[in-house]
Amino acid sequence: MSRSSPPTLACRLLETIVPTPYREAILGDLIEEYRLRTQSTSRFTASRWFWSQTCRSVPSIVWSSLRSRDCLISICTAMGVYIVMKILEHAAELAISKWVAPQPTTYVVLAPVVFLTSSAIGGCVTARIHRGATKFLALMVMITVAVLIDLKVCTIPVPWWYEFGFLTLGPLAVIITPTLFGRLKQQGAVA
Amino acid sequence: MFYYIEQMKRGELLGSLEHIILLALVRLDGNAHGMIVRREIEERTGRNISIGAVYATLERLETKGYVSSFTGEPTPERGGRAKRMFRVEAAGKRALEVSEQTILSMTAGLKDRWRTI
Repeated sequence: MSRSSPPTLACRLLETIVPTPYREAILGDLIEEYRLRTQSTSRFTASRWFWSQTCRSVPSIVWSSLRSRDCLISICTAMGVYIVMKILEHAAELAISKWVAPQPTTYVVLAPVVFLTSSAIGGCVTARIHRGATKFLALMVMITVAVLIDLKVCTIPVPWWYEFGFLTLGPLAVIITPTLFGRLKQQGAVA
Repeated sequence: MFYYIEQMKRGELLGSLEHIILLALVRLDGNAHGMIVRREIEERTGRNISIGAVYATLERLETKGYVSSFTGEPTPERGGRAKRMFRVEAAGKRALEVSEQTILSMTAGLKDRWRTI
């Protein structure tokens, strides 16, 4: 990261959350201000400012999206993809438990792979249908995992980080995978 | 003035941030982008509002027809991203006048009462 380049993760977060009409404007404004600030203060201070702006902007942007008409389309898309995702996930888990790994321990090892793969594919499909819907899908994944953890659905004893991994990596896979695929496609097109 | 207030529906009344942002746009000659508006508000009021809140409010004002926007040229300083410039429309100016008149009407003759509260 060069002196004048803003925090990458914060930029990715904004690219994912901000709706298309204002994405370019908000990111451009923040990058311009960040570069001005790096000239007068340290990179750390400027990055902290960038992160603070990003974190404080997210609630306003999400609330604004929720109020717009676009929100209903996003929620419906996310729900549709989520249902298909869960059916496929359930089918894959059934197949694993029947033919590949009947033992619970092996199942515990393979379950996260199935979950993350379905989350990543779900994220890509959602972004392809309606980009704004990925955040809703991520939210649905997070809520479901939180509820399942709270209900103690998993009867096999697992360490805390195992459940925490589901809670954090699932929504992240939904949000980050479409962006990564988009970048790879762009690089492929340039090459 | 009373005619305007009667004409304005409840949904058309300006919120506090909407009011401040419209005033900032007028101060900036009615033509500015989000970060300039944010800076103007911070310098004048000391309120450190987020850029997201500024754009969310500007979007709302645009939907109401109080401001209009157009896309500028992308520049290298902005990482190749274009600016979104906003300008106050006639309906926005009228809404500001109505808000100002409403506040003036509501605060008229209250100077003596402040001491008793």
